[in-house]
Formats: sequence, C-alpha cells, structure tokens
Amino acid sequence: MEGLPQYADLIVRIGADVQPGQTVFVNAMPEHAPLARELTRSAYEAGAFYVDVRYQDPHIRKAMIQYAAEEVLTETEAWVLERVEAIADGGAVISIAGEAEPDLLADLDQERVGKARPLAAVKRMQQAQARRTVSWTIAAFPSPGWAQQVFGEPDVERLWQSIARTVRLDEDDPVEAWRAHTERLRARCVQLDTLELDALHFHGDGTDLTIGLLPESRWIGGGVRNVAGVFHVPNVPTEEVFTCPDRRRTEGTVRSTRPLALGGTIVRDLEVRFEAGAVVDVSASSGADAVRAQLATDDSANRLGEVSLVDGESRVGQTGITFFNTLFDENAACHIAYGNAIMFSVTGLDDLTSDELQERGVNVSSVHTDFMIGGPKVQVDGLTHDGRTIPILQEDVWQLQD
Amino acid sequence: MAATGLELDPRLERYAELAVRVGANLAEGQTLFVTCELDHAPLAQALARAGYAAGARYVDVLYRDPHVRHALIELGPDEALEHSPAWMIDRWRHMDEEQGASIATTGSSEPELMADLDGTRVGRARMKELMEQAMQRMANRRINWSGVAYPNEGWANTVFGEPDVERLWEAVAFCTRLDEPDPVAAWNAHVDRLERRAEQLNALGVDQLRYRGPGTDLTVGMLDGARWMAARFETTWGSKYVPNMPTEEVFTTPDRRRTEGTVRSTRPLELSCQIVRGLAMRFEGGRIVEITADEDADVVRAQVETENGAFLGEVALVDGTSRVGQTGLTFSDTLYDENATCHIAYGFGLPEVMESTDVEGFNVASVHTDFMIGGPEVEIDAVTHDGRTIPILREDVWQLTD
Repeated sequence: MEGLPQYADLIVRIGADVQPGQTVFVNAMPEHAPLARELTRSAYEAGAFYVDVRYQDPHIRKAMIQYAAEEVLTETEAWVLERVEAIADGGAVISIAGEAEPDLLADLDQERVGKARPLAAVKRMQQAQARRTVSWTIAAFPSPGWAQQVFGEPDVERLWQSIARTVRLDEDDPVEAWRAHTERLRARCVQLDTLELDALHFHGDGTDLTIGLLPESRWIGGGVRNVAGVFHVPNVPTEEVFTCPDRRRTEGTVRSTRPLALGGTIVRDLEVRFEAGAVVDVSASSGADAVRAQLATDDSANRLGEVSLVDGESRVGQTGITFFNTLFDENAACHIAYGNAIMFSVTGLDDLTSDELQERGVNVSSVHTDFMIGGPKVQVDGLTHDGRTIPILQEDVWQLQD
Repeated sequence: MAATGLELDPRLERYAELAVRVGANLAEGQTLFVTCELDHAPLAQALARAGYAAGARYVDVLYRDPHVRHALIELGPDEALEHSPAWMIDRWRHMDEEQGASIATTGSSEPELMADLDGTRVGRARMKELMEQAMQRMANRRINWSGVAYPNEGWANTVFGEPDVERLWEAVAFCTRLDEPDPVAAWNAHVDRLERRAEQLNALGVDQLRYRGPGTDLTVGMLDGARWMAARFETTWGSKYVPNMPTEEVFTTPDRRRTEGTVRSTRPLELSCQIVRGLAMRFEGGRIVEITADEDADVVRAQVETENGAFLGEVALVDGTSRVGQTGLTFSDTLYDENATCHIAYGFGLPEVMESTDVEGFNVASVHTDFMIGGPEVEIDAVTHDGRTIPILREDVWQLTD
C-alpha cells in the first residue's frame, strides 16, 4: 500500500486543513489503524496540539444491537457527547470510512440495526457542521473485506490503487491538483447560483422526479469555509456540487442507479415515490426494511435534505467501480439524500429553531442517507421561475458554460 | 442467540465469562467499561458478549493504540505529553458516579515500541489529571473493576522469544484456572485460601517486614490501621470482585515514612512500553533517594520524580505455590509477574486496606508501579509490635500455619 503517508498528508492538509495548536479527532474502526496512525503523525507534523483517536469496533456495536435493551440503541453515552462537544468547539475531525466486514450485521434484526444510532451525538455534530464551527472530513481506508465486496476477491491492493486514483494521489503534486479541482467545482456552483433555479427535473431510466429548490439555497462544491476562515474539504474524494431542496416540493418516482450500503445492509434496486415532499412508497429487491426503518426514525426522515449533481468527468465514475460506499458512490453519479438538510448551503438560518427551519422548507432530521439516482440514461434539467427548461446534464456531460 | 458468520473461540468466550462473572462480578443493569489495547480486540469483543449475557445495560469499549501514543511522544508538543482529554475524564466520572463495572486488559503486543524515543519524554507522557482522577475514583470504591491479560503474538514473543500464542494461552489458562473443570468454584477455593493468609498476618500484629537477599537489605514499616488483604475487594454497595486475574498475593499499604535500605529487583519491569532490567533502589526515611538499572533507569526516575512518586504505596507477599511462579516464566507483565513473587510498589497506596486514607503515612500519588523483589534467595521476616521476629518466607515457602 504505497503512498499512505502522502494520503494522510492530503487528508490532514486539504481535507481537514489542520491548523497549528488545534486538537484533531480521528474516528476509525480497528481495521483502519494503519491510516489512523499515519494521520496522527501528519497532524502532529502540521502542528496539531493533540490527536485523539477513537476506534469504534463494529463487533462491539453488533453485540449491543443483539443484546441491549431497546432504549439503549439510540442513547449517547455522556462521555461520547463530551467528545463531540470538544470536536464541535473548533476541533478538526477526520472520520475514516470503509467497512472491513460489510455483511457483519446482515443476520441481525434490521429494524434494530436501522434504529441503533447515538442520536444526541449525531444531532450535535450536525449542528456543528451547520454552524461551521468545525473542520471536518471523511476519507476511506481499504481492507480485504471491502475489496471482496467490490471485486469479488480480497484484492486490497487493487482497491487501494482505485482509491488513490480517485483522490488524485497519482498526480505529481496531489495538494496542488486538489486546489485546481476544488476551484473547478466552485465555478460550477457559480453557474448554478446565477441561474436561480426553481426546481430540478430528473428523467429517464425509470425515474421521473421533480425537486423544488429554495430561494435561499446556494450550491456548494469542493469545500467549505468555516467560521474560523479555514477552507476544508468534507469529503475526499469529492466530485459533486450540491444544495438543499425544499422539503415540501418533491414529486414523482425515482429509481436508484447503484446499490446502497446502509449500516451493514446492502440495499439493491431501491425505488421511492414522493408526494408533496414526503416518501409514500419504498420498494427494493433487498434491504427495503432497513430503509423503511430509517425513514421512520423521526417525523422528517422521509423528506429530502440534499440534491447533488455529478458528471461523467468524475474520477470515481471513471473507475467504473461500485464501491458499496457512499463516500465514493455518491461521487460517481447524481444523488439525493433523505433526512437532515445540508444546512450550510442555505443562507440566513443561523438563529432559527428546528420548527422555524421546517417552516422555511429546510428539513431537520437525525438521519441523512444519500442514494444514487444519476447515470448516462438519466437527464437533468433546471426549471427556472420564468418557466424555462435548461439542460444541465445529458449523457453524463455537463451542459452549462461560464 | 446464534452468532452466525462469526467463528467464536470457546476458550476465549469462557475466559471473558470468568472475567465478567468472577473478576468484575458484573451486576444486572450495570454499564461495563472495557479499556484495552487495540490488538486485544478479540477479547474486548468476547467481553462485550459476556457482559451483555450477564445483564450489562451497555458495554463501552475504549481502545488504546500504542502507535498513536508513539506519534505523540515523537512529534507532539511538550505541553501535550501530560494532556488528559476531558471526555476521558468524564468517562471515569460516570464509571464512579453511576457505579459502573470496569475491565482493563494487559499483555503488551509491542512492549519495546517506545525504545527508539527519548526516555525522558516517554516517562513524562502520561495523562496526569486522568491518572489522578482514576486513582481517586477507584479509592471511592464504587467501581467493581478487574484486569485480565490477552495472549497475543507480541507478548508471546516477549515471553518465549517466538510468537507462540498457543503456548502463552496454555500458561494463561493455567494461571487463571481456566483449565479447571469448574473455574468459578476453583477460584472461590483459591480466594478463600489467600484470605486466610491475610488473616494470619493481621493476627500477628506486624510492625515491620525485613527482606534479606542478593543486593537486598530492606526494612518496610507497616502503617497503623492498614489491614492485610487478598484477592477480593468489596464496593461500598457490597459487590465482591476480584481485581486481578490471576492473583496469588497478600498485600497491604506500608507507612510511607518508614522504609529503609537497599532493594534489587528480581525480575524485569515493563514500564511505558520499555523493559527495565537490573533495577535497584535505595531508601532513606521512606523516600527513594537513588535509582540504578542496567538501562532505561530514566523512565523509572521520571515516574519517581512526580509528586509523592518516591514513596511506597504497596507491599505484597507471594509464595512458591503460586501458579504464576510455577510456570517458571517471566511474563514481563505486572499482572502476572507480581503474582510470581513478592513485590513492592512506589506511588499511590491501596485505599481498600484502610478504614480511612486520611492518615499520616498513607501515600497519595498519581503513579503506582509494582516491581518484583522476591524469590527463593530472598528471606522475609516479620517483626511484631511486641518485638518478636517471625519467619514468613524461606526459599519461597510460606512459614505461617493456622
């Protein structure tokens, strides 16, 4: 696995943009230890005051889901919340993705699997992200189990090479290549913001879906500048530009174009129908129950919080690989997410309560799950307030010009 | 409940059950806090299963990664070496205030990992506030806690010079009586025998212990109000637990002002991921005034130089019937080696042996490090309050009878 130190540097310097004197939090699974250790070294070299690595073991979680009382499944232990508070208070947080045992929870009661989330910690972290008080990023680490899922054989080196290409480690100067890349995504956001779209229309390949946008929605791509002025890149890789839809104005049917990995369950051939913003029907050839359980988590889990556009130039898309991991697959194709809104893509929300946000059309939920709806057969048009239809994506090619 | 897709090792499951039921003596509804090295994950997972099976409300596992620690010591700022993350302090607070159960594991997978680092920084790098709080909270006697070891390749390599984990497992199973048909019954009989020895010593009225052997001529003064104890502790709420598995010792807290003479360690000491060999110390008026070792004496000096680190907190007696001693092995792990032979510890005293710790002569410190001073060549006598000299150990044979 050549290039791991360079990868760690990229995550620390571009992803979280760790500042001197900052406390850096790393969330990892035990199998991610080689990357967690490199990240620790990189972060100290970037001037971190302290690096706090927390390993969360999916086997321990499995035992909890199997045996703990129902009410424990959604609890957050007080010290875990304390750590999230420290993260939210100006910390940098790096989360490592990549399930080493993707089917570990497959034999459990999927309703309990869907339910098992530390809600208070999730909410606090979502709030910190919305208020932009934290520098956060997610990057992946390969494992034999994940490679098995992707390639049908535990070829971890091949998976590593694929990841390395999607994160531009093959460039002479990956950090510089990333700066140019995030700039290009930012330019697309300017194009879209200039159009001031009223809605997006996805159609083709079993999908006919209209998603209403909010007047205050801004398109975001590449990275985010937080309140401390630090420009961090929340996802490594990232190929998307995204915004927050109006929670009340999604209509029609959408068919997922890629499998969805959901808390250890693989959902295939997901199809969802919306009426007046809410999900009214869910079907899938496998894993539909896990989706239904998530949609029932709270009153707003069944409404959209994100819509995101990705074209065929995506390095993830170009690999032609289904990674069974949202971090990658959401960068292969256009997608939407049910659940909590991407708050920081909407201006003027800072002091609003949850109820006020919802009244404005901004969805508030403890859930946020992306699923892929784009591909060469799905066309995306923008609908303007004055009734024009503007092609945005055709056969995976970006149609807008500066 | 079947754990399909997961091959469980029955010996490991039995071991975890022993640690939960006899060691921590977990009560229904308690939270179980497991703290262990990342490489001990299989044991942590088994402890989680055993914990829930015994009725734990929740099992919280905290993994420590020595490589992350190595990066801190190598690359981190000076002022971070003693940093205690607030959330880890909070974890201890909850353990104490909510009467949690705790199991920590030993068996260093990389005992010499820190050997390439500056010994002074290695010695300084400890979570000072956390250690102080942990010792105070354990003194509150509201946590039923236990320690067990996890056989692993690195530890096997230390013990045998080759990574023979199976051979180490056999030794661990022998020492922890896992080889008995009914390990729980065997433990009860064993603990009763050790507690009788403690009663013998309490009945004698010991004023001083005298050690004579190669390089050793030491007198340790006993503390008024300190009892001799063995094996089994009790929380304020009446839970009887076994803090160490294995345990072969009877122990008390000495008067911190009344140790005089010279002592030479009879086994290597593993400390801060370094192995200290040939350790010798001289005491005057209870205080350690001179420390020598073949190498790495600095890591001991750094500990002894902390507040009250230079005074004794424990004295313990072990005879040749010890199963640990009978293996003839040096485990380079305090949990084992301290049960092979007699030892003393500098640093924090043992609150469990006191009615009140608020007495002159009881040592309060943020360190507690045991080192071995016994063996067949070391004779130990007790001098009683009424001036009698009574042999306690000769050639590793216990001399007292009921």
